[in-house]
Amino acid sequence: MDATPGAPLIQIRDVSRRYVRGVDEVHALERVSLDIPAGHFVGFMGPSGSGKSTLLNLVSGIDRPSEGDVIVAGQRLNDLSEDELARWRARHVGLIFQFFNLIPVLSARDNVALPLLLTKLDKAERVRRAETALRVVGLEDRLDHYPRTLSGGEQQRVAIARAIVTDPDLIVADEPTGDLDARNAEAILDLLRQLRQHFGKTVVMVTHDPRALRFVDDAYHLDKGVLLEGEEAARAQEAIRVSAGAAGARGPR
Amino acid sequence: MGLPLSYSLRNVGARRGRTLMTAGVVALVVVACSLFLGLISSLKRTLVSTGDARNIVVMRKGSDNDGSSQLTLEAYQAIRFFDGIARDAQDQPLASPELVVQPFFRTREGGRENVLVRGVEPVALAVHDNVRIVEGRMLTPSSGEAIVGRGVLGRYAGASLGDDLEFGRARWHVVGIFDADGSSFESEVWVDVRELANDAKRPFPYSGVRIRVARPEQLEPLIRRIDDDPRFALEAERETEYYAKQSESANTLYVLVVGIAVLAGIGAGFGAANTMYAAVQARTAEIGTLRALGFSRGAILTSFQVEALAVAAIGFVLGALCSLALSACLRRLLGGIGFGAATFTVNVITLRVSAADLLFALLLALVIGTAGGFGPAWRAARLRPIEALRKA
Repeated sequence: MDATPGAPLIQIRDVSRRYVRGVDEVHALERVSLDIPAGHFVGFMGPSGSGKSTLLNLVSGIDRPSEGDVIVAGQRLNDLSEDELARWRARHVGLIFQFFNLIPVLSARDNVALPLLLTKLDKAERVRRAETALRVVGLEDRLDHYPRTLSGGEQQRVAIARAIVTDPDLIVADEPTGDLDARNAEAILDLLRQLRQHFGKTVVMVTHDPRALRFVDDAYHLDKGVLLEGEEAARAQEAIRVSAGAAGARGPR
Repeated sequence: MGLPLSYSLRNVGARRGRTLMTAGVVALVVVACSLFLGLISSLKRTLVSTGDARNIVVMRKGSDNDGSSQLTLEAYQAIRFFDGIARDAQDQPLASPELVVQPFFRTREGGRENVLVRGVEPVALAVHDNVRIVEGRMLTPSSGEAIVGRGVLGRYAGASLGDDLEFGRARWHVVGIFDADGSSFESEVWVDVRELANDAKRPFPYSGVRIRVARPEQLEPLIRRIDDDPRFALEAERETEYYAKQSESANTLYVLVVGIAVLAGIGAGFGAANTMYAAVQARTAEIGTLRALGFSRGAILTSFQVEALAVAAIGFVLGALCSLALSACLRRLLGGIGFGAATFTVNVITLRVSAADLLFALLLALVIGTAGGFGPAWRAARLRPIEALRKA
């Protein structure tokens, strides 16, 4: 996948997503259109239920839109079958979750090496790359630790190492700081920014965390499934900046 | 490439309690199945090993065993001089006239069992050369003496060297103990054939004749000659075939045991399914993560199926060890186990769980694992990543 800086890596075209929950139809996203350039660090923000995680799932190919197209580096994701989509994700997307989603029975090294099992690399090379990724996130001394023996911040770093180990073009992070204290949250946001700065990765993140505004290139605001634009977006951003200031005044959690 | 084997095995180890409970159920099925199969295969082995490839059994046409056959003195006198019969050092033909009766013997515990009593002449030891006197001596004809097989020794009242056995209308003094390489002869009592015929008031003195052929190529011609002789209405067959037919009664038991094992296996399969469904339920987020990372449905299915098979394999190992230990204990404590044969007499067999019995139990355990694990594994594989992650 080519990722020319500045060119749109992700094209979201009139995308809607509806769920049926019981007898009700939930409109999670309504006709969202957006281009995300390659090499940008982008944040989707908004209150709970605003549709930001739904949008992230569509961009990463975990979910499919009810209407509209999601095109990532020229690939229309709707055209892919379930297993093709799984292969596409393995090749092009690195995933980071709020609760880390590490495999409890595998060591940090094995967790990070997991996505490499889907490549043709031999075991020695898989181990070498996993250790390199863990070094990048500063966990070279935690290779053989199991998730239960790592702190929350360390677990999220392992998850980030797992996300970057296949050298994907796109890294998507769903509330990566949601389960971390202030100090670890800032460190993780900084790490994600470095991935963009030093490795040219496109990072798309969903967050409630107002501190994220200091790290991202672009912040998009959603409310009730709609992408806010113009003055609405500016007001939402200002409200977040104010809450970020208040949070800063309270000091780290 | 799919998920590594270590992932499945470590997950098995991570739920020790549930794994051990399910493996325990599988182990119980393995123990029951392998012990019963061991009993049947031991019986078959005992019967089949009784036959000698160099011997012929001669009985009345239409009889399917010694007990239902009868033979006249004239018939015996005629066939013992047929060509092709081996001869001893005194140039006497190795043809052993034998009479079989099945009286009740009283066991040491006070029960009653049919025991096969074989009337023989001294030539019997030459024809059945796997029978060896290991204690005492061979019986003397016409002197009210008996020799008893190892399996009979001590099992019945009076069945010990120097004691008197009571059956029929007489008392028989035990003068010798014999073994017969674990064959069913060891479950018999041998007495003099004429004394037995008199005691049993048989109109015909013999049940049949066992013949040792001189050379293997003479076996079939001799069988044909006996079959075709119009004077006596006899039929002959290889001794190995005769005992193989006797062991066929065990086949019915075999089917019964396999049926019971399959029923028990279905129960154990539900146990395995329950464990694996719980595993899928507890690891929904993990499955969602693996699918989101790009692992295919096939990889998830295989991984959970491997887990179920690993639990079944643990159950098999536990069960096989218990089964081998139990069979060794039973051998040591009981010596032999009495088992009804086709002729309604008791065969005392030595219980051994063979590799074939364990192989069947292993296959059953793997079927339990496969069948019990497939439903949960299929459910795990069908989970869409978005749903799995949302449920988490």
